[in-house]
Amino acid sequence: METSETERGHARSRIKRKEVNVGPAERRASMVGGAALALSGLRSIGKKNFLPGLAMMAAGGLFLYRGKTGHCDLYEAIGADTVHTSNSGLRIEKAVTIGLPPKQVYEFWRNLENLPLFMKHLESVQITGERTSHWKAAGPGGVSAEWDAEMMEDTPGQQISWHSVGKADVPNKGTVEFKEAPGSRGTEVKVAIDYYPPGGAAGKSAAKLAQGLNSQQLEEDLKRLKQVLEVGEETTAKRNVL
Amino acid sequence: MKAVCWHGKHDVRVDTVADPQICSKGDVIVKVTLTCICGSDLHLYNGLIPTMKKGDILGHEFVGEIVEKGSEVKRFKAGDRVIVPFPISCGACWYCRHELWALCDNSNPNSWMLEKLYGDTGAGIFGYSHLYGGYSGGQAEYVRVPFADVGLEKIPDGMTDEQVIFLTDIFPTGYQAAEYCDIKPGDTVAVWGCGPVGLMAMRSAQHLGAGQVIGIDRFPERLKMARVHCRAEVLNYEEVDVSQQLHNMTGGRGPDSCIDAVGMEAAGTGLVGAYDAVKQSLRLESDRPSALRQLIKACRKGGILSISGVYGGFVDKMPMGAIFAKGLTLRAGQTHVHKYLPHLLKLIEDRQIDTSFIITHRMALDEAPLGYQIFGEKQDSCIKIVMNPQAAPAVAPTLNPEQVPACPLPGHGESRQ
Repeated sequence: METSETERGHARSRIKRKEVNVGPAERRASMVGGAALALSGLRSIGKKNFLPGLAMMAAGGLFLYRGKTGHCDLYEAIGADTVHTSNSGLRIEKAVTIGLPPKQVYEFWRNLENLPLFMKHLESVQITGERTSHWKAAGPGGVSAEWDAEMMEDTPGQQISWHSVGKADVPNKGTVEFKEAPGSRGTEVKVAIDYYPPGGAAGKSAAKLAQGLNSQQLEEDLKRLKQVLEVGEETTAKRNVL
Repeated sequence: MKAVCWHGKHDVRVDTVADPQICSKGDVIVKVTLTCICGSDLHLYNGLIPTMKKGDILGHEFVGEIVEKGSEVKRFKAGDRVIVPFPISCGACWYCRHELWALCDNSNPNSWMLEKLYGDTGAGIFGYSHLYGGYSGGQAEYVRVPFADVGLEKIPDGMTDEQVIFLTDIFPTGYQAAEYCDIKPGDTVAVWGCGPVGLMAMRSAQHLGAGQVIGIDRFPERLKMARVHCRAEVLNYEEVDVSQQLHNMTGGRGPDSCIDAVGMEAAGTGLVGAYDAVKQSLRLESDRPSALRQLIKACRKGGILSISGVYGGFVDKMPMGAIFAKGLTLRAGQTHVHKYLPHLLKLIEDRQIDTSFIITHRMALDEAPLGYQIFGEKQDSCIKIVMNPQAAPAVAPTLNPEQVPACPLPGHGESRQ
């Protein structure tokens, strides 16, 4: 744990211990952005725009708190943590065993346009070049994000990795490994995805999107992949087509 | 259509709901011609299984006729009469391919719920809470049945619904419980609970070569049925010290294997029974394991405990020391119905085993609320209720049990009376 002495002291003094779950770069951004937001809120109040001004001050205050303490309630609620991950990203890892040979599972994944069939947050993935693709994602409350991605590694039947390029709404990178499972069980599929939610207003929207990008979601996505590959379609308990 | 819907603890109603439709290529729609209330439905009725929602359609024991099928269904056509296993199994995953049908990886869309609770998921089950997938059940005029080619079995011509209805759950469940006992010729098998599953387990244990079968319960009509139809010796646990008595009946050894056909709502006696009742009502203990404790104490050294009664959560005061000291083997779980269905259907068809003797009540679907009440309270010598959703109500539904005539036991079968 990278908790400093003073932070430990703060934590002890609070009734419920709040863990530091915001990375150092993000904390600096929160401090700067929060202060700016609070100041412009003050300016708005000066111009008699009371409500928006107060809201901006409150939001600014929250960002200052987040920056000062390193604790974000939203992150806690969604199980996110940008301290205890590599490169200050938000890392999600999950694995599933699928009863088909690695080659077949790899080929299904390698056609990136298949990904939205089982990844709930993805609206579409469009192949734009030999190694490039354009991704569209949607989150709760109509939040959406887009980015271009580039494949970094492609080892047929074994591994695919990719990362977002250019001006991505939610910068991210991911790796999926395909390994033969013991005892004719098929393929062990292991996925690791890192998200780098930006700070500021874009960060808020990204964080909202990130609610749908937690490990629970990835686990359900992989279950769906298994259903699609083993059974032929997603399993449903519904009674009507509606 | 009409369907039996859960509305809360001790509150089931017959509602009018939308007819089911084909939602996947492997689906069929079954017009239900006979359905039962299962002892495990009472756990839902008593509010002990979480994730039930108002309006959920109950029922996992049902047979009927196919009226519509999905584009990929090959083994069946409209008009076929079919038996529907209670677990829903995909037939493609590792577990299904290894005959562990009730542990199917793919049939439970809410698998994450069971994973949070138990570390992994089981198969989806018709009408058995959202933990088990949130599928609509078969206590209804019609039901959507997924993976039809995998699970269903045709009812041979000339066989009645009542002859085959128990192949959907309780007969395979009792049979699996007996099979788990690894019975050697002449073995003694003791069965806690002389309800439908216990009776099926006793009958199966005999079929598998047990020399002595002992049934344990407290209701005279159930003990009588065990004696008469399953040729079992019987013990009333309210009258005798069960484990001492079992030792006396087995030359001081104890039964070679013990079957728990009771589960999480055992009616315990004495102080420990009261302890469990209080803790369960305060939600400090989800399951009351008084039968299970007796099994552990009574079983012979090196014996097998076979658990077919449903448990949902945590139990207290488990005599783990006895399990260890006596080197007991514990086997448990939902029934892999698909594995047993063809063989058991053959046994019934060849008239080697008749299971319809347990039916004590025949009702129309409209009478389901009354059915749950009398079955739940063990009124009117109720052992097994079957309902025909296609039949008009025979009598006006009533909640006064005194007005309901008890159905006589069927005159055929193995009755020696």
